[in-house]
Amino acid sequence: MTATKPILLAEDNPRDAELALAAMEAEHISDKVVLCHDGAEVLDYLYCRGQFKSRLRGNPAVVFLDLKMPKVNGLEVLRTIKADVNLRPIPVVMLTSSREECDLADSYALGANAYVVKPVEFHKFLSAVKELGTFWGLINEPPPESCRSMH
Amino acid sequence: MESVSNRHSPTPLSAADKPEPSASVLTRPPAVYHALVAWFHKLTIEQRVLAGFSMVFVGILIISAISYRNTSILLANSGLNGRSHDLIQLLNNIEAAMSEAEDVHRRYLVTGEDSYLEAYKRVVKQKPSFTAYLHDLVHGSQEQQQRVRVLDRMMDRQLSAQSKALVQFQEGGFRAVRSMAFEGAGKRELAAIHQIIAEMDLHERQAIRRRVVESAAGTRNTIILLGIGVLLQLVMLAWVYYFIRHDITERRRVAGELQRRGELLEAANKELEAFSYSVSHDLRAPLRHIDGYAGLLRKSVEHSLNDKAARYLRTISDSAKQMGQLIDDLLVFSRMGRQEMLRTTVDPNQLIRDIISDLRLDLQGREISWTIAALPEVQGDPAMLRQVFMNLIANAVKFTSTRPIALIEIGVERPSPTEITFFIRDNGVGFDMQYAPKLFGVFQRLHRADEFEGTGIGLANVRRIVHRHGGRTWAEGVADKGATFYVLLPMRRLDS
Repeated sequence: MTATKPILLAEDNPRDAELALAAMEAEHISDKVVLCHDGAEVLDYLYCRGQFKSRLRGNPAVVFLDLKMPKVNGLEVLRTIKADVNLRPIPVVMLTSSREECDLADSYALGANAYVVKPVEFHKFLSAVKELGTFWGLINEPPPESCRSMH
Repeated sequence: MESVSNRHSPTPLSAADKPEPSASVLTRPPAVYHALVAWFHKLTIEQRVLAGFSMVFVGILIISAISYRNTSILLANSGLNGRSHDLIQLLNNIEAAMSEAEDVHRRYLVTGEDSYLEAYKRVVKQKPSFTAYLHDLVHGSQEQQQRVRVLDRMMDRQLSAQSKALVQFQEGGFRAVRSMAFEGAGKRELAAIHQIIAEMDLHERQAIRRRVVESAAGTRNTIILLGIGVLLQLVMLAWVYYFIRHDITERRRVAGELQRRGELLEAANKELEAFSYSVSHDLRAPLRHIDGYAGLLRKSVEHSLNDKAARYLRTISDSAKQMGQLIDDLLVFSRMGRQEMLRTTVDPNQLIRDIISDLRLDLQGREISWTIAALPEVQGDPAMLRQVFMNLIANAVKFTSTRPIALIEIGVERPSPTEITFFIRDNGVGFDMQYAPKLFGVFQRLHRADEFEGTGIGLANVRRIVHRHGGRTWAEGVADKGATFYVLLPMRRLDS
C-alpha cells in the first residue's frame, strides 16, 4: 500500500526542508516524510544502518534528492541507488536549485526519474512540492520490488 | 639656371631637402642604407628566405657564367697556341725546303747531275701543299695572311726564276747560267723569304706569349672569383639559415606561449564555471527562503494583516523574485560567452515567423503593422541567432506598447558579398542618441522600471552573440520617434 510507504526527502538546508514540509503539510502528507540532512544519511536509511538500523524494512515510495549536500552529494547517492539491484526501482526525483545543463545531463544519465528546479517564488515552490508529493507519494504506484524486505 | 645652382651647392637635389649640402652628401649613403633596411624589415620571413635563396641562385649563375667564359677562352687560347706552334714548324719546314731548293738547283746547274734535279722537283711539287697549309694556319689573322700572300709571291718568284734558269741551262748549257750557278737563281727572293718567315715567326711567338699571359691571368681571376663567390654564397646561406632558425625559434616560443595562455584560459574558464554554478545554486537558496518565509508569514497572520503590512510583504517577495530573475539573466549571459557554437545555415525568415508566433501572448490586444522583407540566409548558431532576433523583436514590441498602431519593420541594408546588415525598426519611444553607447551594456536601462519591465540584459546578449559570430551591432534612435537596431553578420565562415 502506497499510503504506508514513506517519502524520503534529502535536504541539507533546514529552511528549505521546513518550506518543503510546510508545503506537504497542506496536502496532509508531511507525516510520511522522512528527512535526511545529507547523502550519507540517505544511504544509511536505504541500507538500514546507523541511526536507521531498527527502522521498518522496505523501500520508500520516492526519494527527493538535492544535488548539493555535505558528505555524499546527490549524484553520488543517485549512482549508488541505481547501481544496486534492490534499490534501482525506487523512483528518484532530483529537487535542486541548479539549472546547469551538465547537472541535468548527468542526473538523467545516472537514471534519475525526474528533475525539478526549485522555483524562487514561494507559491510556485509550494505548488511544485505539493504536486510532487501528491504524485509520487499518493498517485504513483511504486514498483513491487520496493515492498521486498532488505537483505 | 642649372649651372648657377650647381655652383652654389654641389648636390642640388639634396640641397632642396636639406639646408647643409656637405651634411647631405655625408648622410646620403646611410639614408639609402636605412631605406634598404626599412624595406627589408617590411618583408615577411618567407619573402626574406626567398630573397636570400634568389641571391644565392643568381650568384651561382654569375659565377658559372664567368667561369664558363674564362674556361672557353683558356681552351680557345690553347687551340690557337697549337696552331701557332704548327705554323712555326711549317715556316721552318718551308724555309728549309726553299733553302734546299736553291741549294740543289745551284748544284744541278754546276754538276748537271740528275739526282739534284729530282730533289729540286720534289720541293717544287711540295710547294702548293705548303701554300694551302699556310693559308689554313693563318686563317683569322689579317696581318699574317698579308705576310703569307707576300711569302707565297716570293716563293713563286724564286721558283719561276729557277725554272727560267733551268730552261736557259737546257738551251745554252752551263755557260748560259754560269753566273746564276755561282750566285743562286733566286738569291734575292730567298733572302726576302727568310725575312718574311722571321717576321711571321716572331709574330706567332709573341702571340703565344701574349696568350700564355692572358690564360694565366684568366685562370687566376677564375680562382679568385670562385673563392669570393663561394664565400659570398656561404655568407648568404648562413644568413638565410639564421632567418629560418630565428623564425622557427620564434614560432616555437609563440606556440609555447599560446599553449600556456590556453591552459590559463581554460583554468580561468573552469573557475568561472564553478563560480556560476555556485551562484546558480547557492544564491537562489536564500532568495527562495526570503520569499518562502514571507509567504508563510502572510499565511499565518492573514487575518490580522493590514494593507500596509500586506504591501510590505508583497515588496519583499517581489524583490526576491526580481533578484532571482537577475541571477538567471546573468547566468544566461555568462553561459552565452562560454557555450560551444554551432555553424550551420540559418534561415532568418523562418526564425522570425517562429518568434512572432511565440510572442502571440504579448501581442494580444495590440495593433502592430509588420513589414518584413525577404531575408537572405546566414551562417551561424541557430539557437543564438534566434535569441538575437527574439530580443530585438521583443524590444520593438515592448517599446511600441504606448503607440495606438505600432509599426515594426525588419529588413536588410546594403547587402554585399562579404557581409549582411539586418535592421529592426520601430516607431516606439526611441532613445536619445547620447545614450546610445550605454544601450548594449549589461544591466543598462534607459527607462524606469515602472515604464517598461526588463532587467537590461537582452541587448548585452545580442551584442555578445553577434561578436561571437564575428559581426557588429549598433542602434540609431530619436527620443519619442522610434529606434532602429542593426546587426551586421559576416557572410564567410569565421571562428569565434
